[in-house]
Amino acid sequence: MKKLDVEKSLILMGIAAFFLFAVGAVCTTIVPPLVDKSLWTTEHDVHEYTEQELRGIEIYKSEGCVYCHTQQIRHLASDQRRYGWRLVNAPASESWEYVNDRYHFLGTKRTGPDLARVGGKYSSEWHWAHFKDPRNMGEKFPDRKGIYEKASIMPSFAYLSDEEIKDLTSYIQTLGRNQNWRIDADGKPLHDYEK
Amino acid sequence: MKQDTAAKTLVIGSTLFFGMALTMGLLTALKFIMPTVGEIEYLSLPRVRMLHTNINLFGWLLQANMGVLLWILPRVLHTKLFSEKLGVAMAALYNLTILGGLVCIVLGRVKNVEYGEIPPPFDYLFMACWLMFTINVIGTIAKRKVKHLYVTVWYTLGAVIWTCFVYITGNMVSQLPMVTGINQANLIWFYVHNTVGLIFTPMGVAIAYYLIPKQLNTPIYSHKLSMVGFWVISFVYVWTGAHHMLHGPISHWLQTVSIIFSFSLIIPVMAVITNFFGTFATAPRSTRLDGPIPKLLLMGTVYYIFTCLQGPFQAIRAVNEITSKTDWVVGHAHMALFGTFSFYAMAGIYYVAPKLAGRELFSKKLGDLQFWIMTIASVPFFAVLWISGAIQGFAWLNPENTFVQTLAALKHAHVIRFASGGFIFLAYFLFLYNILQTFFGKYGEKDKTEPAA
Repeated sequence: MKKLDVEKSLILMGIAAFFLFAVGAVCTTIVPPLVDKSLWTTEHDVHEYTEQELRGIEIYKSEGCVYCHTQQIRHLASDQRRYGWRLVNAPASESWEYVNDRYHFLGTKRTGPDLARVGGKYSSEWHWAHFKDPRNMGEKFPDRKGIYEKASIMPSFAYLSDEEIKDLTSYIQTLGRNQNWRIDADGKPLHDYEK
Repeated sequence: MKQDTAAKTLVIGSTLFFGMALTMGLLTALKFIMPTVGEIEYLSLPRVRMLHTNINLFGWLLQANMGVLLWILPRVLHTKLFSEKLGVAMAALYNLTILGGLVCIVLGRVKNVEYGEIPPPFDYLFMACWLMFTINVIGTIAKRKVKHLYVTVWYTLGAVIWTCFVYITGNMVSQLPMVTGINQANLIWFYVHNTVGLIFTPMGVAIAYYLIPKQLNTPIYSHKLSMVGFWVISFVYVWTGAHHMLHGPISHWLQTVSIIFSFSLIIPVMAVITNFFGTFATAPRSTRLDGPIPKLLLMGTVYYIFTCLQGPFQAIRAVNEITSKTDWVVGHAHMALFGTFSFYAMAGIYYVAPKLAGRELFSKKLGDLQFWIMTIASVPFFAVLWISGAIQGFAWLNPENTFVQTLAALKHAHVIRFASGGFIFLAYFLFLYNILQTFFGKYGEKDKTEPAA
């Protein structure tokens, strides 16, 4: 078989390698937002972050929360059940819910539980105690005794200032609430954390 | 400037960074057992993890690959490096850039890009270094004294071209203000996956394509397989980024595309592996596994098979449901970047360090010992991650198991991971000692034989 000339030419080799790569690169980075507009815009009402919540996002980013906590309820029954609340299944995460997220925190690893729908599940006081010491939240939270004290491996974030913990908590309380998925008998949203 | 100074700087720099990376890995593993160890802001678990991945990828592996290739390229092209000065300047700037980036990570100034946490201006400086490396590679190819480009050159050329686009997409384009949410996630996973696939794979394979025939003193098994491997991977690899979001909030068609191409990756990988093993099989038996270099190459190739069979199967939706987001993923990533490409890079360093120092390797026996400790320790290290990943994945299917119970069930796995990782850490010091002795130690006569042209 006659050898391909491409193996003798720097220019041909470089161009060929680039074009083969470019086909896939264009189809997987530029085409998706053109075909599927829900990746960047939506008709739905999506939460606009306040100043405080934006500060919380910066802390979430610099503390690297995403390395242990994903933010996506996958389209799987097991995910929806596990991250639901009081027997209500969590709706799967949809791409439009994230359009206002300047930084995505979808994550690849669940060393801790998913946080996509955690907003409103726990009181801000609960988060405060948990950030201070995940293995000893004090007498106020008796259900966090026992296995949590032994098994939780979350680092303590006691080094954050009180203001920073408040900012971070305010961001976490917004998570997952673009879909109104927990409502009372009259169809009004339940925000347990506001109590 | 003295020939090969750039290669030497990069090789020594990378060898030192390797130790830092393993230290961070060990500390991460320790924090999984005792979360209160080193409980200060600058050493919190996520930051240590970011340090571990960034030092490994850029301080150690990429730097080692660049150093080894800057030595290999002039040899296969029968010429001198395009510009030694440019190479040395790049090596110096590169090391400062990485150090600066690591300081930023310690201080919590990071981007939300996995594997690309290093923030501006250091990521821009990284890109400048990469362009300097690219100029050197292309310049060296342009002034070559042979007609044919050998496979090593194809892969290196591919890597330098692809990486320019991959790195800019993941680190700069993804941070533009109008790139938000899932669109950003897609760009970042394009980068994350192609960091492994279009930087470390081609550079590692380039090194192996040179070292295996050279070390075994036998021609490469099949030229056709080399072509299949290279051209298919340059087309197929780039499509797979979205397989990090299977079942997730991204377009269903894009997930399917990524699955199809992930599976197609079996083709180029098997071509490369058949080629490597074919070369091993046709080499003389007596020298086939003599010393640490062929051993590392062979074991790296074995891990390459496993990691590249795992990959395609993990990308199937049903398998992904169990393995994704668990410790399994960590095991898979370690087998690719440690088992395969770090083994290739170590083989490369064992090969070029004596050439750079102008004498024999300090101790083959020590190299063998290091190889065996790392290999034997890496088996339980990878295996326990897959086992605990499978335990997690199946336990999560049952809503009766609370999250913390599944975590508690993995305590033993975390202990085994730390212990086996500890052996890998110890074996590293044999490697370090061997390489530093080869460069700076006082032993033996200078090897008179000129470095192979």
